[in-house]
Amino acid sequence: MNAKADVWQGTLALMALQTLDALGPLHGYGIARRIEQTSGDLLSVNYGTIYPALLKLEQEGYIRSEWGVSENNRKAKYYKLTRAGRKQLQKETHQWKQATTIMDRFLSPAKEVS
Amino acid sequence: MRQARAWFVRVLGLFGKSRRDREFAEELEAHLQLHIDDGIRSGLTPSEARRAAIIKLGGVEPAKENHRDRRGIPFLETLARDLAYAARMLRRNPGFAATVVLTLGLGIGATTAIFTVVNAVLLRPLPYPDPDRLVYIATNWRNTGDSDFAYTVDYAAWKNHNRTLSRIAGYMTFQANFTGGDEAERITGGYATGSLFPLLGVQPAVGRSFLPEEDRPGGPPVAILSHAFWKRRFGGDPAVIGKALTLDADTYTVVGVLPATFVIPDRHESTYDLWVPFAIGDTGKAKSILAQVVGRLKPGVGINAAHADLGALVYQVRRGMTKRTIVSDWHERVAGGVRRSLLLFLCAVSFVLLIACVNVANLLLSRAAARDKEMAVRRALGAGKGRVLRQLLTESMVLGLLGGIAGLALAFWGKNLLIAWISRNLPALAPIRLDYRVLAFNLGLGLLTGVAFGLAPALQASKVQLNESLKEAGRGAADGHSRNRLRNLLVVLEVALAMMLLCGAGLLFKSFLLMRGVDPGFRSDRILTLNVNLTLSQYPKPLDQTRFFQQAIQRIKVLPGVQAVGAGSSLPLGGYSMTVSGMTIEGKPDADTAVSLEMVSPDYLRTLTIPLVQGRDFADSDREGAPTVVMVNESFARRFFPGENCLGRRIQNPARKTDWMPIVGVVRDIRPWPDVPIEPEMYVSYLQAEQVHLRMSGGEMGTEMYLVVRTAGDPMSLAAAVRSQITLIDKSQPPHDMKTLDERRAGSLAPRRVTMLLVATFAALALILGSIGIYGVVSYSVGRRTHEIGIRMALGAHQGQILGMVLRNGLGVIATGVAIGLAASAGLTRLISSELWGVSATDPWTFAAVVSVLAASGFAACLLPAWRAARVDPTRALRYE
Repeated sequence: MNAKADVWQGTLALMALQTLDALGPLHGYGIARRIEQTSGDLLSVNYGTIYPALLKLEQEGYIRSEWGVSENNRKAKYYKLTRAGRKQLQKETHQWKQATTIMDRFLSPAKEVS
Repeated sequence: MRQARAWFVRVLGLFGKSRRDREFAEELEAHLQLHIDDGIRSGLTPSEARRAAIIKLGGVEPAKENHRDRRGIPFLETLARDLAYAARMLRRNPGFAATVVLTLGLGIGATTAIFTVVNAVLLRPLPYPDPDRLVYIATNWRNTGDSDFAYTVDYAAWKNHNRTLSRIAGYMTFQANFTGGDEAERITGGYATGSLFPLLGVQPAVGRSFLPEEDRPGGPPVAILSHAFWKRRFGGDPAVIGKALTLDADTYTVVGVLPATFVIPDRHESTYDLWVPFAIGDTGKAKSILAQVVGRLKPGVGINAAHADLGALVYQVRRGMTKRTIVSDWHERVAGGVRRSLLLFLCAVSFVLLIACVNVANLLLSRAAARDKEMAVRRALGAGKGRVLRQLLTESMVLGLLGGIAGLALAFWGKNLLIAWISRNLPALAPIRLDYRVLAFNLGLGLLTGVAFGLAPALQASKVQLNESLKEAGRGAADGHSRNRLRNLLVVLEVALAMMLLCGAGLLFKSFLLMRGVDPGFRSDRILTLNVNLTLSQYPKPLDQTRFFQQAIQRIKVLPGVQAVGAGSSLPLGGYSMTVSGMTIEGKPDADTAVSLEMVSPDYLRTLTIPLVQGRDFADSDREGAPTVVMVNESFARRFFPGENCLGRRIQNPARKTDWMPIVGVVRDIRPWPDVPIEPEMYVSYLQAEQVHLRMSGGEMGTEMYLVVRTAGDPMSLAAAVRSQITLIDKSQPPHDMKTLDERRAGSLAPRRVTMLLVATFAALALILGSIGIYGVVSYSVGRRTHEIGIRMALGAHQGQILGMVLRNGLGVIATGVAIGLAASAGLTRLISSELWGVSATDPWTFAAVVSVLAASGFAACLLPAWRAARVDPTRALRYE
C-alpha cells in the first residue's frame, strides 16, 4: 500500500487554487511541490494527477496559463488565478469549512449535556 | 455555465492536436527538469536526481493519455477514428461495399417511398390552421351504415343553434355547362357557404371571399375561381374580377380567385373549378338538399360533446325522426379509407427491408470469418470487447447510412412512380413530397438497419477466441459452428419472409385475375363513351331533350368508322342509375319493388352487344303517343316472375298511374362490377321520355345521357369527330367524360390492380434478394469447405455425391424456411382477406404455386455453387490453403 495518500480531484483543484492565491503565478511543478510540502509530505502529487486538474480548472476559466521562465532559467508554463477563480476559491473554502465542521462534530465524541 | 464553457473549450480541443501534444510534452519535460534541479540542489548527483525524479513522477505516457482525454472529448475522437477506419475498409473492398449499399438502398428506398405517401396522407395534418379541431359532420337516414353527406335542413339547425362549434361550413359539388369563352366546357363546381373559406383560413389570392348577403337565398350570383381554372380559362388575368361568366345559362360575377395551394381533402378525386355561394336559408332551402359539412370545434370541446349537441339538434328539427349524426375528425375521415391499404404496403415493404438486412448480415458474417484474425490481433493489443464491438457497429452503421442515402435517391424516383400508380385512390391532400419527416425517417432507418444487420456479426466477432484464431491458419475446416448456425438461421428467416410476401402477392394476383375474368355481360372493346348534360333551361321539355339526342345519334351514325350508336341514361361503369321504389307489378301486389330504371335508345343494347334473351328490343315505333313498353333484365324476371313467362305482363308507370306498361323483352344481366350484386333492372325507351318522365333530386331524367359508339378501329380516334358533331347541334352543350369503355373497365379494377402490382413488386424484390442470400451462403460454405471436399473426392466420392451433399445442405435450409413461411402465411394472409375476391385467404393452389416458385429459385441458387463444388479438382483442393 502507498504510504502517501493519493489526492482526489475535487480537493486537489481547491488546493491548487489556494496555492496560486497564496504564492501568485506558479508553474505546475511548483504547485505540486507546494501541495506536498503543505501536507507535510503526506500527499504525493505526480504529473498524472496535477495536470488534468490544472487543465480542468483552465477549461472552466478559473486559471490562465502562459509560458515563462523559472528562477533557475528553465522555460515553464505558469498558471495564474483569474477573477472567477478567486471567487470560486472563496466559495469552495467556505463550503469546505462548513463540511469539515459538520463532519468534525459528527465524528468527535459527543459532549454530555449537563 | 462553467460546465458549458469547459465543454466548449473541449470541443475546440479536438483541433490543433499535435501543437497541444507538443506543448504538453514540453511542460512535462520542464516539470521533470525542475524536479531534477531540486534534487541536485539537495545534494544528489545529476543521475541520481534524475532517477529519483522519474520514479517519483511515474510514467510519462499515461500522463499524456490522461491529459489528452481531458483536453478533448474521447468519445468523439474514437468515433472519428472508427469512421476513418470504416471508410478505409470500404474503399479497400469496393465490391462488398457496393453490394451492401445497393441491397440496403433497395430496401430502404422502397420503404422510404411508401413512407412518403404514408406521411403525406396519414401523418401530415390537414393543410389548414389548427387542423385538429376540424370535424366532418354527416347524417344518415338509417341507424346503420355510414354517410358522406348531411341534409341542408340539418345544416341550418346546426348553424343557428349549435353550442359546440366556433364555425360551421357546408359545401357540395355540382356540375354545369360553362359557356364563357370560345369553347363550352362541362365544369365541376362547388357550392360553398360563406363560412367555408374563413373556416379553412383561406384568403383569395385575388379579389375577395363571399359576402354575407351573397350567401343568402336570392343573393347576387357571384363566383370564386380556382387558381387552375383561372389560369386555364382566363390566362391568369387579374382583371377577371367583376367579369361575368355563364353556367347553365345563368350569369355569375367573378369576385375572387383562390390561391394555388387550396385543396379540399375529399376522399374522391375531386377538383373544383369554381365556387358559388351555397345560400342555405334558415329552413334549409338551398340549391342542393345534401351538403358536405365541416365544423371547427370550440376550444375545450371534444368530438363527443359536439356529437351530442348536433345529434340533439337533428332530433328536434326532424321532430323525433331517428337519424344518426356522425361527427368525426376530418383528417381521420379523409385518410381512414386508405389507411388499411397504406399500412398493408408499409408492412409488405418492411418485409423487403428485413430481407435486405438479413442478406447484409449474412455478408458481414462471412466477412467476419475472414476478419477473425484481425479481431484477435486487436484484442491481443489491448482492445476491450466493447471497443471491438463499437468499431464493428460503427462500420455497419456507416454502411447503413450509405444505404440510406442510396435509398433516398431511389425513393425520390420511386415516389413519382408511386404517385402515378396510386394517387387516384388517395384523398386530394397536400402534395406528396420528401419533407423533413421523411428525411428523419430515412436517416433513422439507415442507422437502425446498421444496428439490425451489424449487431449479430459484431457480437460474434467480439466473442472471438484469442488463441484459437491466432493459431488457426486462416482456413479452418470447421468455421465457428455457431456462426454457421446463425447464417443458416438467417437464410431460414429470409426464405420465410419471402414466402409470406409471395403468398400475399399470389392471392392478390389470383383475385385480380378472377375479377378481370368475370364476364361483364357486354363487350367493352371498341366502344367510345361520352356524356352530355343538357342545360334544363334550354331544353325544358322531355321532347326537346329526346330530339337533341336523336339528332346526335343520327349525326354520329353516319361518321366513317362508326358501326353503331346508342344512348342511355347511365352506363355500365359510369353515371348514376336511378332507383325507383314502390313500383306496382300487375298481379304481384306484395312484391318489394325497388328496381333501377334505365332510359335507353333503341340501339343501345345492340351497340353494347347485351344479348336479348326473350321478346324484342325497342323499335323506333315505340315513340311518343305509342303504348309505353318496357324491357327488364333476367334478374327482374327471376325475382318477380320466377318460373313464369314475363312477356306481356304489365307494370304500372310510376309517372302516370293509369298507364300499364307491358314487358316486351328480357335482356341478359350485366355485371359491370364483379363484386357488386346484380339488381333487378327495367329499361324504358328515351323516345317515350315524355310518358315516363320522372323528376329526380338534382336534375331531371333525360337531361343527362351517355352516348355509346361502337367503332371499327380505335375508339379514341373518333373522339374529335364525335365532339364536333355534337357542338354543331348546340355548341353550349359540351360533351365530356370521353373515355373508351375498356378504360372504364380498367379503371374499375384500378385500385385492386395497384395493390396487386405493389405487393407483387415487393414480393419480386423479396424473391430476388432471398435467392441472392441463399446463393451467397451456399457458395460461401462451399468455398470454406473446398479442402474438405477435396479430401472426400480423394477418398472416392463421386461428383454426384458432392453435388448431392451441397444441394442437400442448401435445400434443407430452404425447406425449413418454406415450412415456417407457410405456417406464418396461413396466419397472416387472413389480414388481407378484405382485399381478396373469389379466393380464400389460404387458397391451397396459390400456396402450392408459391412453394414451387420459391423452391425452384432456391434450387437454382444452390445449383451453381453445388456444381462448382462437384467440379473441384481434388489435387488442387488439397493443396489449397
